[in-house]
Amino acid sequence: MKAELQGVSARGWICRQCGIPLEILPVDITYMGSSFQVELPRCRQCGYTFIPPDLAEGKMLEVEKILEDK
Amino acid sequence: MPLAIVFDRRIGYLFPMEQSELRAFEKRCTQEEAPACQTACPLHVDARAFCGLMAAGRLSDARKLLERSMPLADLLGRLCEGDCLAACRRAEIDAAVNMPLLERACVCFSKPAKGMLMPSTGKRVAVAGAGLSSLCLAWELGKKGHTAVIHHCQSPGGRLKSVNNAVLPEGVLADALDALTGLRVEFILVDSFSPAWRDKALEDHLALYIGLDDASVSLADFALGGISDFLTQETAMPAVFAGGAPDTPGGAPSFVRAAADGKRAAGSIIRLMQGVSPATARENEGVYKSLLHTNLEDVAPALPVIALDPDAPTEDEAVAEAARCIRCECLECVKHCVYLANYKGYPKRYAREIYNNLSVVHGLRRSNGQINSCAECGLCAAVCPNSADMGAFCASARREMARSNRMPPSAHEFALEDMAFSNAPDIAFFRHEPGASQSAWAFFPGCQLPASFPGQSADVYRHLRRHLPESGNAPKGGGGVGFFFRCCGAPARWSGRDLLTAESAASLRADWQQAGEPTLILACASCMSFFTEALPDIPVISLWDVLADLPLPEGAAAAGLDLALHDPCAARHSDVTRARVRALARQLGQEVEELSLGGALTRCCGYGGLASAANPVLGDAIALSRAKDTDRALLTWCAMCRDRLRAVGKNSLHLLDLLFPDGSAEQAATRPAPGISARQERRLSFRTTLLHDAWNENPPENAGMDSITLSMDEDTARKLDARRILRSDIKAVLLHAKDNGPQFANPDTGRSLHCLRPKQVTFWVEFTRTGDNAYDVHDAYCHRMVVPGVPGEGLDTAATCEGYSRKGGRM
Ligand code: SF4
Ligand code: SF4
Ligand code: SF4
Ligand SMILES: [Zn+2]
Repeated sequence: MKAELQGVSARGWICRQCGIPLEILPVDITYMGSSFQVELPRCRQCGYTFIPPDLAEGKMLEVEKILEDK
Repeated sequence: MPLAIVFDRRIGYLFPMEQSELRAFEKRCTQEEAPACQTACPLHVDARAFCGLMAAGRLSDARKLLERSMPLADLLGRLCEGDCLAACRRAEIDAAVNMPLLERACVCFSKPAKGMLMPSTGKRVAVAGAGLSSLCLAWELGKKGHTAVIHHCQSPGGRLKSVNNAVLPEGVLADALDALTGLRVEFILVDSFSPAWRDKALEDHLALYIGLDDASVSLADFALGGISDFLTQETAMPAVFAGGAPDTPGGAPSFVRAAADGKRAAGSIIRLMQGVSPATARENEGVYKSLLHTNLEDVAPALPVIALDPDAPTEDEAVAEAARCIRCECLECVKHCVYLANYKGYPKRYAREIYNNLSVVHGLRRSNGQINSCAECGLCAAVCPNSADMGAFCASARREMARSNRMPPSAHEFALEDMAFSNAPDIAFFRHEPGASQSAWAFFPGCQLPASFPGQSADVYRHLRRHLPESGNAPKGGGGVGFFFRCCGAPARWSGRDLLTAESAASLRADWQQAGEPTLILACASCMSFFTEALPDIPVISLWDVLADLPLPEGAAAAGLDLALHDPCAARHSDVTRARVRALARQLGQEVEELSLGGALTRCCGYGGLASAANPVLGDAIALSRAKDTDRALLTWCAMCRDRLRAVGKNSLHLLDLLFPDGSAEQAATRPAPGISARQERRLSFRTTLLHDAWNENPPENAGMDSITLSMDEDTARKLDARRILRSDIKAVLLHAKDNGPQFANPDTGRSLHCLRPKQVTFWVEFTRTGDNAYDVHDAYCHRMVVPGVPGEGLDTAATCEGYSRKGGRM
């Protein structure tokens, strides 16, 4: 499940507050009591994580549905 | 049967659905019953599957199938008298499928399947007589590795020896005897039988079978009275079995029945050798009447194939005759329901899968989606010969899932939030008629009618106020027509949440009592069924029953279009109201086509049971399938039906479009269905307008949210609707971004991106701020997974099912 949620690029977005580009960094995402560490574009300073639309409405949605049926 | 109670670490004790509920349901569905031909066949040959293979020209596969139930098929396949013929359902249309002809062709044009010889068990069974029943018994025993020792006074074969050569060519019997020898069957010539012979045989063997279809054998020779059980073929003496005689003394002998006697006796002897009673587990072994329901209505006639030489049919003749088999099955409900057809099975199987799904403690619950996709419309029960109601079964499963906290939280979330929205204090209200201090009636349009038809909902209220009190059926005590705006609570019930349903019903009852207990005039058929079942003490009447008794509104007119009537599925059992709707159409001079699946057999639009909420794709397929039932535009009297049918491209009118026309009928029939945001916004503006127009009230506006203006193109709006993202969700994100600054910026495009988790969902909005409170929305999306650092209160609580009660108000 972890692999399905990775491989995302920052697509030109930067952290507005810190004014720095996003980097691929590990982050723990959780749902329905399950948690995985995945690598996603994040701001190294403040930790904001970027989720693109195709990830949210694609793989993430699939994984959510599986976890809801567990 | 004791209830299995499972302990689950996450949720405590889990009470699975009672097995009796499953069993009761399974009993109703006949789809797995054997067809009439098979239950009438003494050997229970699966004629349906056999015909399928024969029709496909797969003769060797057909032969394999035949040999599974027919011993010595090479012989019997040419001789069977066809007990199935009288039972074949095809006979009710033209003529029975000629199974004897098919079997003959099959064994003539195919080779026997090569079986493996089982190692010998060393167990020996004595047989007296060498007629077909004895040979079949020996065959069945031999296949299991037991040795049958056939004692005979004449050459083996009995009646087989006198069969016409054209039917049973030279050599077939000899081949069969050879095949038996290959199964270690021994043949011993004896002079005669006697009680003493019998006792000796029983000393040397484990059992004795007496084959009465050999003319040189009779029960009297063994000093035995008769057969005591015609299923097990037992005689009064233990370990002695007999069979092969005609059913009635002096009756016509039958090869297939004799063969079946031998086969069943072999089954008894095998049980005996295993140490169990010959009567064990023999349900449905004899001939019985099939319970399988098969609708013959649409079966095209096809005359039987006449073989040029009936004793030697050609392969082509057989294939053509096999194609006449209609492959009897039920599937009545599946033929009528897009949902049932979608999962490629039938209710009995689904019920088992759902039951098993509910019992899964660790692992995936694969049927959740299926359970939540049923429209609970009841058509299945209406067309099923045994009234099997898949909708009720799914409803029960949903309640079980909600009770055990196993309901996937996303399935009904939007619908339940929408219900909470409608019941929040800044939407829901009750008022007595302007100028009155009590209400004899109250118009209860439900939450969807004003969202679809705000103007006409207000027109109806005006019409009722004007005509109802003078209509002569005012209750004693007087009082006017009040107005009651809120959601009835049907979504809670559809979602399986008992607690929420009860809570919502209690709050509705309290509001109604507060209003002085008026009779509620319900516009929506789903409200009607909810009230009838969850609030039976509240007096209700259908708006359509009421309107049919009042004068037609001014301006009411026929549409001038060809219309077909679509009844909402919730009105399946409301015969009176359905008749009143037709009376109204007649009064309007509106001719309507009655759909063959209309009235009590009407089909769902996909909204029922929150099917489209849990499974939008299937929900649309359901609506589309309904739309295709007629080329005419549809006339309905349910707001959701109208909008859902319109949303899949069907021209559709609501009865209110004729009673209170607003523009031309063509315009009304093609008016787009409002999206989810528009529905909520219309409820709010309907409330504001009605309170102002009727009661001169001016409710305050929500300053923060209402000051924001959004612009987006139509594609984006449609996309957001499909993602169930409301404009109010977007505004919440934008307000947060305005106060705190957006999280991400894109220097190349100049756009901003911000996310917020106000509830169990994180919303993302990509936007350009074009003014102080004005935004271009380029995209918005959401997810339920929790990513750290997102502002908001919506944590990952593991699906609290009951968290949708009245909220403090709109965001
Ligand atoms: S209508 Fe459906 S549920 Fe009823 S017997 Fe036939 S297949 Fe089974
Ligand atoms: S039509 Fe076919 S399946 Fe139906 S009873 Fe006749 S042989 Fe059997
Ligand atoms: S959608 Fe209707 S007809 Fe289909 S299974 Fe559910 S209740 Fe029965
Ligand atoms: Zn930062």
